Amino acid sequence: MGLDYCTIRSKVLRARKLVIRGTAAAGSGHPGGSFSMAEILGCLFYKHLRYDPRNPQWEDRDRLVLSKGHAAPGLFSNMAVAGYFAESEIDTLRAFGSRLQGHPDLKCPGVEFCGGSLGTGLSYSVGVALAARLDSRPCRVYAVIGDGESDEGQIWEAAMAASKYGVDNLTVFLDRNFIQQDSYTERVMPLDSRLGDAEEISAMWLNRDRWRTGDKWRAFGWNVIEIDGHRIEQVDDAIKRARAHGSAPTIIISRTIKGKSVEHMEDNPQWHGKAPARDMVPIIDAELESQSIIAPSIIAGDMTNLAAEVVRCAEGRADYIHLDVMDGRFVPNRTFLHEKVRELRPLTLIPFDTHLMIEEPHRHVRQYVDAGSDIVTVHAEVTDVDTFGEISDMLRENGVGVGLAINPDTELPEWSLGFLPRIDQIIVMSVVPGRSGQKYIESTHQKMARLMPALADNGFAGYVEADGGVNLENVASVFADGARAFVGGGAIVSTPDVRASIRGFRQAVATARRRMLLDLADSLGGSDLVERWINLHVVGARPAEVRTIAQEAGYVAR
Amino acid sequence: MLPDEPVLTDMRTAYAEALIREGRGNPDVVVMGADTTDSLKTSKFGREFPDRFFNVGIAEGNLVTISAGLAASGKTVFASTYAIFLPGRAVDQIRNNVAYPSPGGRGGLNVKLVASHGGLSVGPDGGSHQQLEDISIMRTIPNFRVMIPADTVAVSALTRMMAAEYGPFYMRMARSKTPLVYDDDDHNNGAAADKRFEAGRANVLRDGSDCTIAACGITVSMALEAADLLRREKQMSCRVLDMFSVKPIDGRALEKAARQTGRILTAEEHNIIGGMGSAVAESVSESYPVPIKRIGALDAFGESARDAEVPLLLQKHGITPFNMAQQAGALERLPER
Repeated sequence: MGLDYCTIRSKVLRARKLVIRGTAAAGSGHPGGSFSMAEILGCLFYKHLRYDPRNPQWEDRDRLVLSKGHAAPGLFSNMAVAGYFAESEIDTLRAFGSRLQGHPDLKCPGVEFCGGSLGTGLSYSVGVALAARLDSRPCRVYAVIGDGESDEGQIWEAAMAASKYGVDNLTVFLDRNFIQQDSYTERVMPLDSRLGDAEEISAMWLNRDRWRTGDKWRAFGWNVIEIDGHRIEQVDDAIKRARAHGSAPTIIISRTIKGKSVEHMEDNPQWHGKAPARDMVPIIDAELESQSIIAPSIIAGDMTNLAAEVVRCAEGRADYIHLDVMDGRFVPNRTFLHEKVRELRPLTLIPFDTHLMIEEPHRHVRQYVDAGSDIVTVHAEVTDVDTFGEISDMLRENGVGVGLAINPDTELPEWSLGFLPRIDQIIVMSVVPGRSGQKYIESTHQKMARLMPALADNGFAGYVEADGGVNLENVASVFADGARAFVGGGAIVSTPDVRASIRGFRQAVATARRRMLLDLADSLGGSDLVERWINLHVVGARPAEVRTIAQEAGYVAR
Repeated sequence: MLPDEPVLTDMRTAYAEALIREGRGNPDVVVMGADTTDSLKTSKFGREFPDRFFNVGIAEGNLVTISAGLAASGKTVFASTYAIFLPGRAVDQIRNNVAYPSPGGRGGLNVKLVASHGGLSVGPDGGSHQQLEDISIMRTIPNFRVMIPADTVAVSALTRMMAAEYGPFYMRMARSKTPLVYDDDDHNNGAAADKRFEAGRANVLRDGSDCTIAACGITVSMALEAADLLRREKQMSCRVLDMFSVKPIDGRALEKAARQTGRILTAEEHNIIGGMGSAVAESVSESYPVPIKRIGALDAFGESARDAEVPLLLQKHGITPFNMAQQAGALERLPER
């Protein structure tokens, strides 16, 4: 089974946009903490949690207790996406007479806990879990607690009680975003180690030795798993490990970024409890829709030791591992087949982005699913409406993302248009497949200009992956064309420091994105909106960097 | 034992025995404790039903919220410790985790908070342990019903009533042994006892026409003595109301008492601000205003008194049959209109 990565990711995006829509409509609310737990809730709602939106009181349902109740918009938006109520109801957030109260409330069917007064949701979850055990129900209880609320003594009372009673049907996520209302948690009341006055919160990310929270929970008798809470594959894996662990409750310490995905909110304590201005919503939506993926292609490395290349890419914090499968028929070269994919799979949790450059993919695709692919892309040149339909259905049923690739001299075929709403990824080849070390084909820019409107017109909600000759110099222009995933071969895997190269890609893409958002602000509201957009950025070097880009674009004076 | 010597009985024992009866009849009854389970005697329930008994240690917030979680999943939860540590400590959890959530529109979760050691009669432990604010705190929280039994008959009947009736309750018991004021014929849950202890009812323990004493908990037996004194010393006919249900309060019984007796004295081992006396005054002032006098702690804390000295401590706050009789007699009586 695949990870359901693309499905989870796209629903998390929908939920994030609803958080912005709801809080902007309400004029208040808590986007920051809703975004730090977005991937956690996504993995629960769209993969692991068992529930029935038409029967919210189903007795054997799993329970989700949002202890950090101020992140209600994050809960409600996912409930809307999951089908508990229409997405438009988010417009009533915090309004008089609405079911969507300022904090989660049983008035809204499907909500399990009236959160708000912090520090109590874990005790409540212990009670719910004990009741399930008394009744021999198979349900699991998931609780999401905050780091700020871990100041409350009752969190630790509950930790002791859960441990004493061996409540192993309870899984807790600690949304460790390092920010509470007043400031950084490590200033207000350190859970890990105290933050010096001159230090930025990023210091906490740089040095693992400062992390003590896991030790605390281990000392309380808990099974502790520590992850990056924005990595869907890590959240997914942690949930599975928690479920497999008997005899003790599990806490998944999820290191997250408050306001994640909206740059001016990220790591910014101001956005703990503040709503975006309504005229900023289109810009924020555009920002949310332009998250990017870096997918290093391991065949650009040492073909005799691909395992080592996978490890380098994983340590370099790649988003995907891009696997170019070549059969020597569809393309002149041979690389590796499904046995190799299977062999590499245990090396990392990072999604495998398998690009099948093979003849008759419908006859072989199953093997690549079984080998552990999370996204499988087949070529339009060797599929048709029947075989692609078959492939697409099979991938979906197995939780694998559906991809369609086109060669430089191929346009999107007519038969594929009907599939577009259900396709997760379109690979646009910008070199002739089959050989590495080629240059980016410049005419791809014009091709993208034709392609993007056609995709939008046909209901495509996935992203375009640019594959071939993408490097630090051209990645910004490839982003500007509309690509959101970037395969890096020579420019990443062939370099000595994969991590630095990936970081370089991310910075280049971030700069291009900032420019795109400034362009949008200018088109929507002229220099006034541009100035206000710039001024939202307050943390670290961001204000200066964003302003410089705006100056270079001529939107504000130097 | 001399014929006049009252029969003293222990509320905590009666409570624990009632819980065990409920536990036998209903597998969803769960009992929670916080390191006072021997004192509250609920550990007996734990011995009979080890799976349905949880002792969370000295952690009252946790006690209340775990109870709420159990109740949210269909359990009928009795959570007990001393009064000073329940409303006195865990009011946030009581309000937000038990009273506020309203599943399917039903008010509150099915948690019964039963406290022992209410009021001044806690005695030797001193002012830090004498909870004089709990009635005030609990009756202001929506969805909560507040019960204050006068003796073990009432404890048994109210425990049974709370187990049968959905919703949050607070029941306050006294630490010390108390004389029986009700016949214990139906101690073991006879239908007659049940009817007398419906929430929202006051029991007329003695009829009278010259004045009314409204009492709850340990002051009920004192009120009966005061009524004897008034009859003997002043030839006054005093009505005695057991206000075991402080919320909901029996407004009809109070209006009737106001109309027919023209004056009302209240007595409780609680701060007169916000307690049962306040509840009576609120009700009567809207239905049939008559002069009211409240006896209780005069916005003051308690202090240590050894067991034999508890009457002295109560006396310091005017909580004696003699003072009740005197104050009731001295109250101006409003003639029936």
